[in-house]
Amino acid sequence: MGESRGGGCCPPMDLMRSETMQLVQLIVPMESAHLTVSYLGDLGLVQFKDLNSEKSPFQRTYAAQIKRCGEMARKIRFFKDQMSKAGVLPKESLEKESDIDLDDVEVKLGELEAELVEINANNDKLQRSYNELMEYKLVLQKAGEFFSSAHRSATAQQREIESEDSQQAGDDLLESPLLQEEKSIDSSKQVKLGFLTGLVPREKSMVFERILFRATRGNIFIRQTVIEEPVIDPSSGEKAEKNVFVVFYSGERAKSKILKICEAFGANRYPFSEDLGKQAQMITEVSGRISELKTTIDAGLGHRDILLQTIGDKFELWNHKVRKEKAIYHTLNMLSLDVTKKCLVAEGWSPVFASNEIQDALQRAAVDSNSQVGSIFQVLRTKESPPTYFRTNKFTSAIQEIVDAYGVAKYQEANPGVFTIVTFPFLFAVMFGDWGHGICILLATMYLILREKKLSSQKLGDIMEMAFGGRYVILMMSLFSIYTGLIYNEFFSIPYPLFAPSAYDCRDASCSEATTIGLIKVRDTYPFGLDPVWHGTRSELPFLNSLKMKMSILLGVSQMNLGIIMSYFNARFFKSSVNIWFQFIPQMIFLNSLFGYLSVLIIIKWCTGSQADLYHVMIYMFLSPTDELGENQLFPHQKTVQLVLLFLALVSVPCMLLPKPFILKKQHEARHQGQSYAPLDETDESLHVETTGGSHGHEEFEFSEIFVHQLIHTIEFVLGAVSNTASYLRLWALSLAHSELSSVFYEKVLLLAWGYNNVLILILGIMVFIFATVGVLLVMETLSAFLHALRLHWVEFQNKFYEGDGYKFAPFTFIFTANEDE
Amino acid sequence: MGFLITTLIFLVVGIIASLCVRICCNRGPSTNLLHLTLVITATICCWMMWAIVYIAQMNPLIVPILSETE
Repeated sequence: MGESRGGGCCPPMDLMRSETMQLVQLIVPMESAHLTVSYLGDLGLVQFKDLNSEKSPFQRTYAAQIKRCGEMARKIRFFKDQMSKAGVLPKESLEKESDIDLDDVEVKLGELEAELVEINANNDKLQRSYNELMEYKLVLQKAGEFFSSAHRSATAQQREIESEDSQQAGDDLLESPLLQEEKSIDSSKQVKLGFLTGLVPREKSMVFERILFRATRGNIFIRQTVIEEPVIDPSSGEKAEKNVFVVFYSGERAKSKILKICEAFGANRYPFSEDLGKQAQMITEVSGRISELKTTIDAGLGHRDILLQTIGDKFELWNHKVRKEKAIYHTLNMLSLDVTKKCLVAEGWSPVFASNEIQDALQRAAVDSNSQVGSIFQVLRTKESPPTYFRTNKFTSAIQEIVDAYGVAKYQEANPGVFTIVTFPFLFAVMFGDWGHGICILLATMYLILREKKLSSQKLGDIMEMAFGGRYVILMMSLFSIYTGLIYNEFFSIPYPLFAPSAYDCRDASCSEATTIGLIKVRDTYPFGLDPVWHGTRSELPFLNSLKMKMSILLGVSQMNLGIIMSYFNARFFKSSVNIWFQFIPQMIFLNSLFGYLSVLIIIKWCTGSQADLYHVMIYMFLSPTDELGENQLFPHQKTVQLVLLFLALVSVPCMLLPKPFILKKQHEARHQGQSYAPLDETDESLHVETTGGSHGHEEFEFSEIFVHQLIHTIEFVLGAVSNTASYLRLWALSLAHSELSSVFYEKVLLLAWGYNNVLILILGIMVFIFATVGVLLVMETLSAFLHALRLHWVEFQNKFYEGDGYKFAPFTFIFTANEDE
Repeated sequence: MGFLITTLIFLVVGIIASLCVRICCNRGPSTNLLHLTLVITATICCWMMWAIVYIAQMNPLIVPILSETE
């Protein structure tokens, strides 16, 4: 589709149409393939086509390499995890990447990963032992306390019993029943008592006790003590509240039951000996081992930190290299292998202006890889539609993204972005108009622009990212808002007579009728914008509503006319005269004979000060066009003019509908006649490469489809003319909302606070005013007006000419986004 | 009279702006055409808005009726 197009009608303008693109074929010898792709990636101006799309990922040539890169990427992710857990940040590296080799990196990554995994495993083991020892120490302490207290009371009791004559039966069984029992039992009938000590989680302790009691039929004695601070559980590694327990039992069966129940409850058991001396010895031993372990663990952590630091130094470098290599291999997989297996063939889209740079890159790669044969660069002819590429700078890229969000432009159709750069902020400002608020937004966006360099390298949150990305659009919005604020004469809703005194004054010296009949215009019209006298008057709203509604209609009709004129430029560029005669002209006639006429009537009414009712005029133009106009006459011969315009509008509708399908059909037949005698497409004989994506020329032509399409288009336009014009009234609606909100905040908050003559209330009032202004007016209203201005562009402006069914040029480049982790 | 004079002022400001843009960022004919288009569009938009508000106030049908408190 590249040949038969061409401007010639108008001088070329940046950004108006997509850059001319061409389908290029590169034939690259095997040894320089890797370097070639690498250099082309640095250049960033070629979009490779996938020539191996039928093959599965595993059948492709470089699948093994990609797996390798995938492994390395996994290791790098593991390192990143470990580093973030340990709190080590990767350093920005300034080394050049071409100096490091992928194989070296792979080996190094393998080594480091093995080392890190080993250190982590050791660390875990040591930590577990440490926690167990800590628990053991607590058990020794608490159980020791229990035993010693029981022993003390037992000896005390013994002394008591010895010193008393009378038998004291059944007293104080809780303290030392066992020792008493033991003492009073015959040595022949000694019952072997065992005991177990351990830790049980606090929340399970009651259940634990109960189950033990039931399982052993009450033949046990259990004693629990609470540990005040939470203890780190060895198996889970988290802090938990635990109790120390001592269980006394008799018999092997009871012991096995208790052991099983302990297992079930996750209660850790520790050995404990009754002997006091041994207890003290155990405590000292355990304390010694604990301090030893602590030093070992600290040393291990220190070693790991050093390792992570060394990783962190090179992390960014390796990360970038691995991703780059992976991208290169993915791209190499898209190239097809030539029959002779000596070279790779690549096909891709690239802009015409980049041809020299690409050939340069190919030559450099051939030289650098010491290959004997150079690469071949040739342009292919194809009927496929190329991708769309606009060269934008940081100022225009935001607007282009906004336009692309609706739909990417078809290859070489007119780009609405050109006019949107100005009309979008302008329509926003019409809805936002307040020069005080405009100045606030200007200050905010100037901050973003002045700290551009610093902010672009940081990672901002989602919302800030969007605001930062659109900073130039917001700058334009704020500048236009200041302008429209001056025209609406609103500074935080207060008007000022900045340019001249107000045009209105009292009818007579006493000003008695100012509040009933009103003032009159005594001087020249206020020269710039809205007269300051209007704010706060009773007739402000009727006047302003009428003004703003008419303004919306005028602006809307202008923008829609601009849209239709853009479709004329498209028709001229694509050399489609049927579109000019049977689409552009009927559309212009229809829109302007109705709504253009309405705009003219509005201007005439304003200029002459007539009292004609425009609603009446427009409606009766349709209902009874031959009636006399009477007092609604704005200019002589109005009736005749209206009849002519009505006739033109009615005639233009079938003009839009009927001729185009028939003419297209005739054109198709004419083309088809000569089709069979056209010469064969030239192909390169030495290499049989099929250009993918069908270069078959036989297009289908369904007349009924074309006719229905044209019918829909016509109905859409005719009905859309009314609805789109009415849609522009949102310019009035939002501007009214903004000015009302702003005046409410001013009068009901600030003036009210001022009226109290109290400093505290004044400060409170100012705070509320600031918060309300920033939250409602500067944030919410901005977003609201932004959205509506966007809608006006996307629907009302663009549906007059924009097709937007292209696809965007996505070149192979190494600029990775921050979140890419394949 | 005031209308014509201010319209001429807008015209002059527009011409000066396009000359300034041409002088300070002269980057090839297609880019210059883009800049010129943007400046002209901005001038026309601003003029249109001013003109609408001005003409609407030239022969008013509604006069300001002050409210009671003033």
